[in-house]
Amino acid sequence: MTESVINHVVANPPGPDHRIRFIRLFGTESMTLRELHERAEKVAARLVALGVRPGDRIGILAANSLEWVLLDLAALRLKVVTAGFEPGKFTSDTALATRYDLRLIFTDKPDEQLDSLPINEVRTWSETSDGPVAPPPARYSADEPSTIKFTSGSTGTPKGLPASVGSIDSSITAVQEMFAHGPDDDIFIFLPLSLLQQRYWIYSALRYGHDVTVSTYEAAFATLGTARPTVVMGVPGFFDSARRHIEGRATQIAGDPAAARRAAAVKLFGDRIRYLWTGSAPADPDTLRFFTECALPIYEGYGLNETCIVSKNYPGHSRDGSVGRLLPGKQVIVDDDGVVSIRSDHPVSLAYAYAEPGDSERVFGPDGTVRTGDLGYMDADGYLYIRGRADDVIVLGNGRKVIVRPIEEKLKRSPAIEEAVVYCPTETYLVAVVSPATEPADEAAIEEHVDRINTMSAPDERIFRVVIARQRFSIDNDLLTAQFKPKRRRIFQAYRADMVRIQEDSHA
Amino acid sequence: MHDDIEQIARRGLAAVVESDVAPADLDPAADMADTYGLTSLNKVLFLTSVCEEAEVSLAHFTEQDVARMRTLGDVTEALGKRQGTRV
Repeated sequence: MTESVINHVVANPPGPDHRIRFIRLFGTESMTLRELHERAEKVAARLVALGVRPGDRIGILAANSLEWVLLDLAALRLKVVTAGFEPGKFTSDTALATRYDLRLIFTDKPDEQLDSLPINEVRTWSETSDGPVAPPPARYSADEPSTIKFTSGSTGTPKGLPASVGSIDSSITAVQEMFAHGPDDDIFIFLPLSLLQQRYWIYSALRYGHDVTVSTYEAAFATLGTARPTVVMGVPGFFDSARRHIEGRATQIAGDPAAARRAAAVKLFGDRIRYLWTGSAPADPDTLRFFTECALPIYEGYGLNETCIVSKNYPGHSRDGSVGRLLPGKQVIVDDDGVVSIRSDHPVSLAYAYAEPGDSERVFGPDGTVRTGDLGYMDADGYLYIRGRADDVIVLGNGRKVIVRPIEEKLKRSPAIEEAVVYCPTETYLVAVVSPATEPADEAAIEEHVDRINTMSAPDERIFRVVIARQRFSIDNDLLTAQFKPKRRRIFQAYRADMVRIQEDSHA
Repeated sequence: MHDDIEQIARRGLAAVVESDVAPADLDPAADMADTYGLTSLNKVLFLTSVCEEAEVSLAHFTEQDVARMRTLGDVTEALGKRQGTRV
């Protein structure tokens, strides 16, 4: 492999030509990447003065900010491992520090600072000119972790996943080959920096020389148009919301509807978009088509926390319905049941940390090969297609297999249904547990929609009964993951009695 | 003045929540997430649109202010105090 991106970023001050912007609702702050690099060095020196040493771990629990980025770059320089905690999902207390072996925790929550440091101190450290001197930049080998990710999976408390520098290097290098980010690019990120992939684009800016804009989640929609990025990194739900907004605004613009949609899209995203990036959950094909027709090319990819980016559609190499071609260094193995495993030249990790016994063995092979649990296949031209989750496959008593994801997608097309999960508690009939879009649920609309779907479905794929969730699925009630995916096993546990009762009633 | 903002906010919320609730039928005291299924992303989009139409700059608010706006009434009140202050 070429020189490590991380080693390059740590050791080499970037040129003076590119900038990083930090956007919050009340304003924007901008500086050159060189200044950012210099300020991170000062923060590194302060961390050393506080007793932080290579191999230590520091926690960051804060919204996206300059301070977050400075701490991350300072830790990289010192070979201190960062643990990014998603705001709202964790509380910065002694238990957190103990559970994840944290030397220090930085937070922007004033009421949670008893056991942690206020992150705004980092800004002061970075502005002081007469502080201590940082040690020389660290140098990483490919298998050393620079950060720890947290993955909620479908059950339980978040598991840790140390991410190797080799996996980060190979992903950023491959993306650069595919998308050729250059001097005119400005990549807009607004998802939490606790998600490692969001920090890739800062490392990319420092390594390859382009601008990058870091927004808070709340400011993203309001500022995109005036920030005028060339690339926007978002999850499918973000682009679904943007699409609905654009469609609504387009109806207020006179003239050709397609031109009106394009105009509304430019108003929302600005006039410089080169492409839009999405992944982390299945994207709605209609949304992908919508943006393409608005002259905003959107590229879907595939990857898990455990694998990093596996595949990606990209300019000139994009195929509808696929999640793109494999990145260099990734290999897909499809077993006889159609389940996809991923082998990486540079695995993210070989095991989880802070996990239950058996968790790692269920997912990781000895060489770091990851059993994804997704069903998929490769076409003759090397494009990967994901059809659903292996645990989405229901084997009925008659031996027939039903893949439930397409059925769940059809259920979710009703405005009355926010989320749907299909089970087969007795291997005989399908039962859907639906999270209503409103409380109280619009039961008539849900029933009507299910009836309509059933008339168009094969007998084995018909929904026999529907359980309407008493409380909408949410992260708070632990029925959704942090990525807003339903926790299938949790939901099953929560509604098993209802499903069985319904089955019993139906046979009474 | 607040009446104007309330109407704008009602239209904006009705448009973004993907349900058949008419703007006039929205409960100003109801939690927008729990009652109308307003996701965090759609909340941001809704506020962005309402501020634009009401000519109130979102820059008057912090991320914490946005988090505190849980009901339509909260939105109307917060924006009403800032109406005519677009920068």
